[in-house]
Amino acid sequence: MKTHRLLVVPAILALTASGATAQTGMRIEVTPASMTLSVGDTASVTARVIDASGNAVDAPLLFFSSSRRRLDVDRETGRVEAIKGGEYTINVRVLTNRDVRVEIPVSVAYPPVSDVAFDAPGERFYVGAAVRHVATVRDQADDERPDVRLAWSTDDPTIASVDRHGVLTAHRTGAVTLTATAQGVTRSHEYRVVENPVRTLTLSATQDSGRTGDVIRFTGRALDSRGQVVDDVPMQFSLVADPEDSTRTQFPAAEIDQQGRFVANQAGVYTVLATAPGHIARHTVEISRRHVTQEVEFIGHGAVREVNTSDLWIWEGVDGRDYAVTGTHSAHGVAYFWDVTDPASIVMVDSVKVDARTVNDVKISEDGRIAVISREGASNRRNGLVILDVSNPRDVQVISRYDEELTGGVHNVFISNNHIFAVNNGRRYDIINIEDPTNPHRVGRFELDTPGHGVHDVWVVDGIAYSSNWADGVVLVDVGNGVAGGSPAHPVQFAQYRDYTGRNHAAFPYQSPTGRFYIIMGDEMGAPSFDGEPDNAPQRMSGYFHVVDFTDPLNPEEVARFDVPEAGSHNLWIEDDRLYVAYYNGGVRVVDISGELKGNLYYQGREVARYKAYDPNGVVANAPFSWGPQPYKGHLFFAEYNSGLWAVKLLPRDQVLTP
Amino acid sequence: MIRWFLFALGLLLAAGVQHAGGQADPNGYLFYVASESEDEVTLLRFMPDSGLAKVKVIPVGGLPAEIEAPHGIFMDPDGVHWYLTLGHGFPFGTLLKYATEMDTVVGNVALGMFPATVAVPPFGGLAFAVNSDFHGDMVPSTVSIVEVDEMIELARTETCTMPHGSRFSPDGMKHYSACMMDDQLVEIDLRSFAVARRLDLVTGQPPAHHASGVAHQMREQTCSPTWVAPSPDGAALYVTCNRGDEVVEVDAMDLAITRRFPAPNGPYNAAVTPNGQLLVVTQKGSGAVSIFDLGSGERLALIPTIRKVTHGVVVSPDNRYAFITVEGIGGEPGTVEVIDLQTRQRVASAEVGKQAGGIAFWKRG
Repeated sequence: MKTHRLLVVPAILALTASGATAQTGMRIEVTPASMTLSVGDTASVTARVIDASGNAVDAPLLFFSSSRRRLDVDRETGRVEAIKGGEYTINVRVLTNRDVRVEIPVSVAYPPVSDVAFDAPGERFYVGAAVRHVATVRDQADDERPDVRLAWSTDDPTIASVDRHGVLTAHRTGAVTLTATAQGVTRSHEYRVVENPVRTLTLSATQDSGRTGDVIRFTGRALDSRGQVVDDVPMQFSLVADPEDSTRTQFPAAEIDQQGRFVANQAGVYTVLATAPGHIARHTVEISRRHVTQEVEFIGHGAVREVNTSDLWIWEGVDGRDYAVTGTHSAHGVAYFWDVTDPASIVMVDSVKVDARTVNDVKISEDGRIAVISREGASNRRNGLVILDVSNPRDVQVISRYDEELTGGVHNVFISNNHIFAVNNGRRYDIINIEDPTNPHRVGRFELDTPGHGVHDVWVVDGIAYSSNWADGVVLVDVGNGVAGGSPAHPVQFAQYRDYTGRNHAAFPYQSPTGRFYIIMGDEMGAPSFDGEPDNAPQRMSGYFHVVDFTDPLNPEEVARFDVPEAGSHNLWIEDDRLYVAYYNGGVRVVDISGELKGNLYYQGREVARYKAYDPNGVVANAPFSWGPQPYKGHLFFAEYNSGLWAVKLLPRDQVLTP
Repeated sequence: MIRWFLFALGLLLAAGVQHAGGQADPNGYLFYVASESEDEVTLLRFMPDSGLAKVKVIPVGGLPAEIEAPHGIFMDPDGVHWYLTLGHGFPFGTLLKYATEMDTVVGNVALGMFPATVAVPPFGGLAFAVNSDFHGDMVPSTVSIVEVDEMIELARTETCTMPHGSRFSPDGMKHYSACMMDDQLVEIDLRSFAVARRLDLVTGQPPAHHASGVAHQMREQTCSPTWVAPSPDGAALYVTCNRGDEVVEVDAMDLAITRRFPAPNGPYNAAVTPNGQLLVVTQKGSGAVSIFDLGSGERLALIPTIRKVTHGVVVSPDNRYAFITVEGIGGEPGTVEVIDLQTRQRVASAEVGKQAGGIAFWKRG
């Protein structure tokens, strides 16, 4: 730590809050009036309070920084320590008089650049090749510095030249050094430019025609004069689009990445270009419309119009009939049970009331005998969960209540293999053994250790728990699968994909017949309201579903999204290459997720169906706000926040609804 | 002794008048109420002649399908801002700053786990919010100290397990909170932002345990304090022992217990009338409001509330009315009740959003 090395603005300036002067005549004199520091510097602010007569006043002062983690200021002494570069303000005020205050601008110079780095594709470079290099600049505080101007150069531009974007183009053979410079710090790489051996370039595709949304993989093949493959020649992919309807310019007609993965949003003819030094290869594919849409027929409605509805679960009861359970939100602590054997005639058969205001989640055991419902808003603040006997859904009985260390409220639950996974206080999930449901007991617990971690939901399939953890994204934990030696009593994390939006709310695994293993992650994001909206206006949300390829669980890759621009994502279900999503104000959507996935599925015509449940007598009239879907025995059931339980059916593609 | 002298002086001054204040203000009284399970704040006006009415309902939070739990609410002495804690976050709670002009958010800052009660000293400019962490592990939590003109959190002062209640001494130089799981009253010095003193509310001594939650679980006799209300002269503190079923009077100078008032069935929040004569206590367990004479220690009245789980209380500046919030149970609406402290009768009530809790008096008129 260095001693202070600050530039003091000349003289002691008396800076005064005008309001304070007008009311009390008091002001604060500070020294210095501004500061220029370097990272690691320490300094002190001296301040005193002066009354209207110019006399010093004994008044306690409070010093604080506009960003204490970057510029630390001792609130009592005014000692300053510069931690990070940037522009800040030190506030000085009388502790007991908010109006007597001054601000001291502080400029903390960023530390000098200490390192420049860039990746280079080997030591050999071919004449005619052009490859972009991307450099990273870091300073002595080990912070990345994208703000620093970076200069690219070569020592012999006649051999190879480089532009300001780092694109190196080789012109003739010879040795050349590529250098990136930032604040005098350099990083160089020596290339040996050799004759381009490529004599032929071919381009092939996994298919010559397809539908919108199909991922077609292109492979370029460069051969030398002996017919040998040149595998280190840089190759780039681009495309020429001739879409069927060129007026639809709000989104790109197609895209291809530099791994040769192509997907089209619109029907048309697309020519993919592969370029290698001195060679171009073309391959044209024809893309037709996906044609997957199906009409949706309304089947039935179990209306809940007095309170908001939360989650649902549909199951086959031990009597062979089909049942549903729905929760209630911000209401009276009730879970409703329905006979849905005839989805056209959904009948409420029982209800259970617990001390809660929200029964956010409801789940049924694999054998259809046990239900667990979550509790939030209990009058005594002891929330937890309630275990029910649903062997006879017409006479549901409370078996036990469990709130030990679960008082903060259980937001979501899951039942798997005689264990309840209960999201506890938004911080972790507890694993509760219910082999004897009259005696539930905790056997395990999983909690991240990242700063400010949280968890919103957990879903368990084949002994793997997929939890949704806001910014920490989806976390895969072995809770009995064995892949990582885990068990319910000893959960073991083995994979994770962080969510750059910070809003990962729900997740569902999907083993695609293609061999790829995806996890689809849903956001939960609010949407701004507007002045003048009535109190009971329809709600809106935002956010979308992220498709993450977890085929290599240690290197997950976000490859696609389903993003309805005017609405917000919530719960989801996947069955038979169909993604069923509740999209809040966008209703329920059914999405074709067959084949490999890439790009925005919404643009690709993969949406099979949509249904918005309008109920003029709902909690909010005619306001679809879909909470959760579940396909079941050929029907799609879904919970509507404003109106209860609904059932619809997708008609075969050759069948349309007639008035 | 000084406190007793001041108290006696108060009695003399009050001689010949009833305990509560004089004339009701015909222009009425405005106050805000937070409904924790409805994610809304309600502005209400009580007019002595025409009753209690909702002026405005203010939705709070950003996610309509998540309960974000508005809990603590406090008016800035400037009268143009109010502060609201949101208990639930991802995972941390938030302090919101509202402008009364349009009741719109004008600032926010992240706090700790489940911030609950919030208070502002009489000179404004700071807010102290207890991070109650109602549902976390039994480990010490903190009080967040926020500079509210910039909405910057200056410090988190560790106090105890499940801190609740947050009030300043009348001069604003000391902040008091209670430790629900450690049976302690904690005093924070405003100058240092550090804990200055602690009092074990069961033993009446400085606590043997610092603040771990363990002591509470091992004790047969507990207090489980939920609130602290300073007297207007700053000489006394009144702490509600929610499980101990009593109100503990503490000499603020010595931080020593001076009296204990039996208050069966879960006393929860409390407020002293500005003239220092009455203590109004919400009885969460029984659904009632107690009114104590601070001179005699006698309970003058026990007034049942319309619904159960009585929560917050503020008293009008003219000593005349107590405004009470009642959470209700399950799907019941929250209730706001007005008690005339002269007649000791409920004179008005209104329904608001579910789990009405935090309450803040704004102004007359």
